[in-house]
Amino acid sequence: MDTLRLYFKLIRISMQSRLQYRADFITGVIGVIVMNVVNLGLIGILVNRFVHLNGWTIWELVFLYCLWLLGHSIFSLFFWHIRTLDDYLVQGTFDQFLIRPISPFVQFLGREIQYYGFADVLFGVLGVSLAYANLGLQWDWTKWVFFILAIVSGTLIETTLTLMLACLAFWTGRSRRANSLLMQLNVMIQHYPVDIFGYTFRVIVTGLIPVAFMNYYPALMLLDKIDRSRDWWWLSYSSPVVALALVGITAGVWRLALTRYTSSGS
Amino acid sequence: MKIFWSFTRQAFHNTVIYRFEFWLRLVSAFLWMYSIQWVWRTLYTQRPGAFGVSLEQMVTYGVLGMVLETFLDVGPEWYMATQVRSGAIDTDLMKPLDFHVHMLARSTGEMLFSLGVISIPALLIGYTLFDLQLPPDVSTGLLFGISLVLGYLVLFHLGFLLGSLALVTLDIRSISWAYYSLVSFFAGQMVPLWLFPQFLRVLAEALPFKSVYYIPMSIYIGTFTGAAALQAIAFQAVWAVVLLLISRWAWSRVRARLVVQGG
Repeated sequence: MDTLRLYFKLIRISMQSRLQYRADFITGVIGVIVMNVVNLGLIGILVNRFVHLNGWTIWELVFLYCLWLLGHSIFSLFFWHIRTLDDYLVQGTFDQFLIRPISPFVQFLGREIQYYGFADVLFGVLGVSLAYANLGLQWDWTKWVFFILAIVSGTLIETTLTLMLACLAFWTGRSRRANSLLMQLNVMIQHYPVDIFGYTFRVIVTGLIPVAFMNYYPALMLLDKIDRSRDWWWLSYSSPVVALALVGITAGVWRLALTRYTSSGS
Repeated sequence: MKIFWSFTRQAFHNTVIYRFEFWLRLVSAFLWMYSIQWVWRTLYTQRPGAFGVSLEQMVTYGVLGMVLETFLDVGPEWYMATQVRSGAIDTDLMKPLDFHVHMLARSTGEMLFSLGVISIPALLIGYTLFDLQLPPDVSTGLLFGISLVLGYLVLFHLGFLLGSLALVTLDIRSISWAYYSLVSFFAGQMVPLWLFPQFLRVLAEALPFKSVYYIPMSIYIGTFTGAAALQAIAFQAVWAVVLLLISRWAWSRVRARLVVQGG
């Protein structure tokens, strides 16, 4: 509990320091919204031409896109700066976390807040609501619970994968490009249903770097698109389990990485 | 010319240090090529007639768009923004070299480096794994080359203008998200302009962005030939000159009100 209180205190300080730049907030929110509108515009053009993408109609694709965005929005609000871990290591500023009698992890997490994430929340909620209405969905409470779980799992999956890749920097010095690669996979699964790609790719985003659990698999369940005659249909229910497993693995990786730390000195 | 090469050499040295980065960039290019060709293939099985061109042309267009990005997008705006934020821009301004020429040399040097080190391997992957076709004949290849140089100049100056904005706003990160997605969209990098609905098509045809990807790639796959190709190249040339003039004018304006933070 103390840890949590400390974390929120740190977050409040970070927020105050960020709020210095009011104009940046506004351009940031507009920037994020324009980006999302353009992305959906591209999908819209394809659907306009081809009627559906491999069996996914336009509102199903909007749902897929915005379900990813909702999970991502919490990540981008609170955990975006995990990507910048390598800067702390290269510049030697990571030392400050180690000399205080508090968990370095909590200090690092509380270091920054990225308020552009608010735009992701807004856009995600709007998109999912519109999709819900246009698809005529009628969820019972189990689906609503699963929906919330899917979003939280999405956040955890993106956060843990980002952190694990960022920890590469403890060995290689730099990890930004590796995280860009993760972002790229994310963009792909956000825009297109995974079944549009080849088998190898589906195996990778399911088993190796399981980003497909952020939106594709839970969306199959939430949109009643599960085909039970196929093997592996139960993956559609597995996002929370995948997220928990990743949290466990990441905790181990972080602990191992800390033992590797040698200050770059300055 | 010598100064272009010195930046190429510098980019090479930086990359030798982070060799891991090289591999990741190649993997990234591979992933983009892989995904775009799957999208087009799947859509083709759905409605073969809806492309307006053959599947080979469509896949070539898509894969080429990803290869070109590996060297075209050198991003002078990031160098400018970083220099402004750290205050180091004053050392750039003290150099006995016009800043705009300096940026053009730096970007072109880095572009040549990426072309040799990332794009050529990516191109080979495209030819062997993803059915990227060669241009139909030598003259098409030459026109494509000219068009590509002009496309690069257009993109460089758009980036330079964005970078100049950093002198006013101090940060361009948030603006850049909107900028990149709009450029990629209206340039037809992923989806060619001929698939756009009418009202968007009219808009995209008028904007300079199509010079970057759509025109060179349309020449490459042979949808722009003869007079149409020359007309498209003229369009690019006009925009390249216009953007160059705007860039020089804008730079002289923002430079006058430069605020250097830090020291």
